[in-house]
Amino acid sequence: MENIHIEGKHGVNFIPTVDFNAETGVCELAGESYLEDTIEFYTPLYDWLKQYTTEVKKPLVFNFRLRYFNTSSSKCIIDILNILKRYETAGGDVTVNWYYDAEEEDIEDELEEIEDFMIETNIKINLVPN
Amino acid sequence: MDNQLNSNILDLYRTLGNNTPLSYKGPIDDHILQVIGTYIGGLLKHSPKAGKKVFKIFIELAQNISYYSAERSKLSNNKDIGTGMVLISEQAEYYTFMTGNLVKTDDIITIIEKSEVINSLDREELRQYKREQRKLPPGKKGGAHIGLIQVALTSSNPLDIEVNPVDDEHSFFSIAVKIDK
Repeated sequence: MENIHIEGKHGVNFIPTVDFNAETGVCELAGESYLEDTIEFYTPLYDWLKQYTTEVKKPLVFNFRLRYFNTSSSKCIIDILNILKRYETAGGDVTVNWYYDAEEEDIEDELEEIEDFMIETNIKINLVPN
Repeated sequence: MDNQLNSNILDLYRTLGNNTPLSYKGPIDDHILQVIGTYIGGLLKHSPKAGKKVFKIFIELAQNISYYSAERSKLSNNKDIGTGMVLISEQAEYYTFMTGNLVKTDDIITIIEKSEVINSLDREELRQYKREQRKLPPGKKGGAHIGLIQVALTSSNPLDIEVNPVDDEHSFFSIAVKIDK
């Protein structure tokens, strides 16, 4: 199975950096995500995760290193977490880490947001200060 | 020269006054988002907390205009982009972020109702409301409401909504949000 690498841009398109590695099972989503067409961007990522969790079936570590995301991207994050939760329920080994900058001014808002993700998807997210 | 137009623009300039660091009217596409976003980042460097909030609120409300405004412009790449207004005003204790755009009058009731719900909820209830709305399958207008919930959460202040009918089919929908410094 192929790896996915997409270099993030914060120019005109605000896309996050994506690194999904099929050999190591480590997936990263970093930077900023406030693009216009979230579905078009995120669908291949869902497909990759579905394939990995149904065919490769090795441990999976998902690292979020997002500095900023809009509400449409937050729906896509939920979709990713739901796929990971399904894998975990089916017996898969899943770790989800959320890296955050403790110095960030609006850190309470960000932590609240991650708590909402956990409530909504029922998956455990480890909070890791940078 | 059209003197009437010239005096109108002077009136507009005076109305905006000294405490409006930014005003824009036109199509809101990715380029405009980037330019104004960068500008906000620079403008608000001296109050980073408010600055980040203004930036987040700008993205949500500007993207709402871009997707949902009833006034559309065709850009050179033939993309159909929503048109509207974006304003930032600055007072001693807070910024006010404002947007305005045309909405089909048929759609306006839903927006007003959702805004009233948002304003009636406390923070915990708002978070729950956001989670519930996010679970719903994506509808054409669904995204806008989650954006408004997020704006209320980010600003920690109520949404100040106003609607003025402009013709048989359209109303001008404006929203102002206070962001404490």
